[in-house]
Amino acid sequence: MAFLLRHLFVGVLLLLACSSASLAADSASPATLPLGLPPLPSPPADNPPTREKIALGRRLFFDRRLSPNDTMSCAMCHLPTQGFTVNETRLAVGINGQTTRRNSPTLYNVAYQRLLFHDGREFTLEDQVISPLTNPVEMGNPSIGYVVNKIRGLPGYREQFQQAFGEDPNVATLGKALASYERTLLSGNSPFDRWYFGGEKDAVSAQVKAGFKIFRGKGQCFTCHTIDKTGTLFGGQSFRNTGVAQLALIPEKEVAVDLGGGLVIQMPRAQVDEILTPLGKDLGRYEVTHDPTDLWRYKTPSLRNVALTAPYMHNGVLLTLEDVIDYYDRGGTSADGQDPRVSPLHLTPEEKQALLALLRSFTGDNVTVLAKEGDVAKDR
Amino acid sequence: MRQFARRWRLALGALGVAVAFVMSGREIHADETCQSPYLPKITGQEDYLYVWTLGAEGVGDGSDKLATIGANPAKQDQYGKVLSSVSVGGRHEAHHGGFNDDRRYLWLGGLDDSKIFIFDVASNPAKPTLTKTIDTFVKDSGGVVGPHTFYPLPGRMLITGLSNDKDHGGKTGMVEYSNEGKYIQTLWMPDNAPYGYDVRVQPHLNRMLTSSFTGWNNYMMDFGQMVADKEAMKRFGQTMVLWDFHARKPIQTFEVPGAPLEVRWALQPRHDYAFTATALTSKLWLIAQKADGTFEAKDVGNIGDPTKIPLPVDMSLSADDQTLFVNTFMDGMCRVYNVGDPTKPKVIHEQKIGAQVNMVSQTWDGKRVYFTSSLLANWDKKGDANEQFLKVYTWDGKALKPTFTVDFTKENLGRPHIMHFGQEQFYKNQIYTEQKADSAKVASR
Ligand code: HEC
Ligand code: HEC
Repeated sequence: MAFLLRHLFVGVLLLLACSSASLAADSASPATLPLGLPPLPSPPADNPPTREKIALGRRLFFDRRLSPNDTMSCAMCHLPTQGFTVNETRLAVGINGQTTRRNSPTLYNVAYQRLLFHDGREFTLEDQVISPLTNPVEMGNPSIGYVVNKIRGLPGYREQFQQAFGEDPNVATLGKALASYERTLLSGNSPFDRWYFGGEKDAVSAQVKAGFKIFRGKGQCFTCHTIDKTGTLFGGQSFRNTGVAQLALIPEKEVAVDLGGGLVIQMPRAQVDEILTPLGKDLGRYEVTHDPTDLWRYKTPSLRNVALTAPYMHNGVLLTLEDVIDYYDRGGTSADGQDPRVSPLHLTPEEKQALLALLRSFTGDNVTVLAKEGDVAKDR
Repeated sequence: MRQFARRWRLALGALGVAVAFVMSGREIHADETCQSPYLPKITGQEDYLYVWTLGAEGVGDGSDKLATIGANPAKQDQYGKVLSSVSVGGRHEAHHGGFNDDRRYLWLGGLDDSKIFIFDVASNPAKPTLTKTIDTFVKDSGGVVGPHTFYPLPGRMLITGLSNDKDHGGKTGMVEYSNEGKYIQTLWMPDNAPYGYDVRVQPHLNRMLTSSFTGWNNYMMDFGQMVADKEAMKRFGQTMVLWDFHARKPIQTFEVPGAPLEVRWALQPRHDYAFTATALTSKLWLIAQKADGTFEAKDVGNIGDPTKIPLPVDMSLSADDQTLFVNTFMDGMCRVYNVGDPTKPKVIHEQKIGAQVNMVSQTWDGKRVYFTSSLLANWDKKGDANEQFLKVYTWDGKALKPTFTVDFTKENLGRPHIMHFGQEQFYKNQIYTEQKADSAKVASR
């Protein structure tokens, strides 16, 4: 019964989304999830998706007027053309140029996230929107009421909220609309899915298959980036300490700076400090639980479309997948509290290449369609 | 509407004057060197310095403002003093600006939220008034963000952008508005040279030259965070584009790595070349016309020691094309080059101006040189090194001698950026009494 209901919901969601730009419209059977995705959690009972809500949510997501000086939209840090994160900087740049303390997580398949943010401090997509809207370094609204009030005054929104909810813009409907949109950003049916879940023997290369052996074996990746028979996100959503928080974002002695034209220089840290506003300390999951064992633990992220979501880790300190693999291979930083499963792997160059090929095979079949999400947005 | 038509006629009149200057050849085009040849010049001593100033948190009202400073030593009651300061409300990343082609209005841009503030400087040159705000730049232009250079053309304003509203990256374009503030067109930068920064026109060659910087994410970002961010550092302009000015079509693209910023066409006849400096790689480049009519870009030397990132920012070329003043932000230095042979610039003088320095403006007689300190709100130095000043010097061909300084923090103003010159007599010579009445009306509304 639960299964049936779930399928019914997925069907509704996909049908709705297909009418917009989300999800490949040529999906063979719209009433099934993209291959490889696990059963989709039901949305909150009071917020079943509708076409109107999704369209409204999309409009809001790309609208820079949701910040007081009309510069920051959600999309500015979750860019559809950059894997629903920001590829061009390690940490996203918020209102008035402020640097966010953490790297923006991707929003692909965010419908599955049970706890939101790197430290898991939020529970539903509906509630989550309040954080970026009022965070002084993200969208910078002085209060949630301020932005709700502003939206009420923008042409067309009142009507659209009425259509979608029979209500004016308010905190609840704002969250519901954005959440309904975010839940459509599903992506699966990757080459890996077609091979592993679909049984298509030639969907991936022998190298990818070798990579998967390492992922499940020698690399111990799957112990945290879990895989179920029914589908996977390659991210268990458990909180783990990979030791990566101990990697200095800005090296202590000198910083290598590539100035272009082949000129790479070593900038002494003292010179960097003259122009630097240091970021606040980040203690990870501990900030939410105050349990000392949670120090520097972060949510194990999904690895779907991971080839598109660089830079990596909660602090964006690793720029490429090669860097990530090297990091695990050398066993992290061996910092206090580092998970024992992150330990030296002694991978051969071929094994690293195979692992890389595997991670690249996690790219869904609809990513070019999803990348166009921003094109339909009229209000930027 | 009526007043616009009148303005338009006057703009054409002013254009006539400007064209006459260009034609006569021996006249220098502008009071401050390196301005648009379409801008009528003031002659003789400037009375005022208009300084577009970024608001700084905790300094005065914290708002961006246009500060007017007395600059005429003959008027001792005004000299070196802050004569007026008009806040525009809020911080917008005040940066560059420029007069329109009859010099009555000063357009000033905010790189953050892309607002444009238009000040009437003609009605009372000692006390400019804000008459109009354009807050539709991004929408008008179809997505250009960060209005940077304001370059007057006959009847219109050419504005370069730095970024775009799709991803806050470096892909951008140039936007034209009529003098009345009506959007005319957007010219997106070519795909192989998507970044933008400065624009300058050489009318007699029908050539326009553009340079390239970086997008919103980088220019708004904390400077220290950025230099340590290898991804961010990949996103700087490496190109300059030469355009057919009248057709507004790109015709040549040059590889000029390391963010070429200010463009300075030589001012003398048959000097068919321009200079630029690359901020990151600390080099002077010469973009010169070849015998076949095409141009080439040549690296003509280092500015200081590039491995120390001196960060050349603004520069100013003397009216006789002999002397080039180049500021470097990080070491707070001004380097003066003899560029008599433009292919072999020679340093003839170096002087520390402050802990940091950005803009430099030189008078057309080459005798007075003005400096301001601020680069970008989040790029300025932190702590004690965050000196915010206007410093004025005389130049005698050998050394810069200080005349006066305004401490912009002590004066509760903020971070001083671009400077423009004003003069009482200039406006007395103009025939726009009627317009004065009109703009006064607008201002008092
Ligand atoms: C200035 C950049 C910025 C803006 C603007 C922004 N975000 Fe984020 N977003 C982030 C960062 C950084 C995080 C991670 C923060 C943390 O973990 O503490 C995040 C996290 C999230 C998450 C959690 C994802 C997960 O897997 O845990 C969601 C959902 C999200 N943002 C949605 C939004 C929505 C909706 C908006 C607009 C209302 C928005 N964001 C605006 C930067 C931004
Ligand atoms: C101990 C649990 C654990 C193990 C073992 C582990 N990971 Fe991770 N992985 C994590 C956590 C937790 C993060 C997020 C860390 C952070 O945000 O700082 C992460 C992040 C990543 C990321 C970056 C994702 C992103 O979007 O930023 C990649 C790629 C990755 N892991 C791949 C692997 C591979 C490949 C292996 C095996 C060699 C592996 N992981 C082993 C827990 C683990």
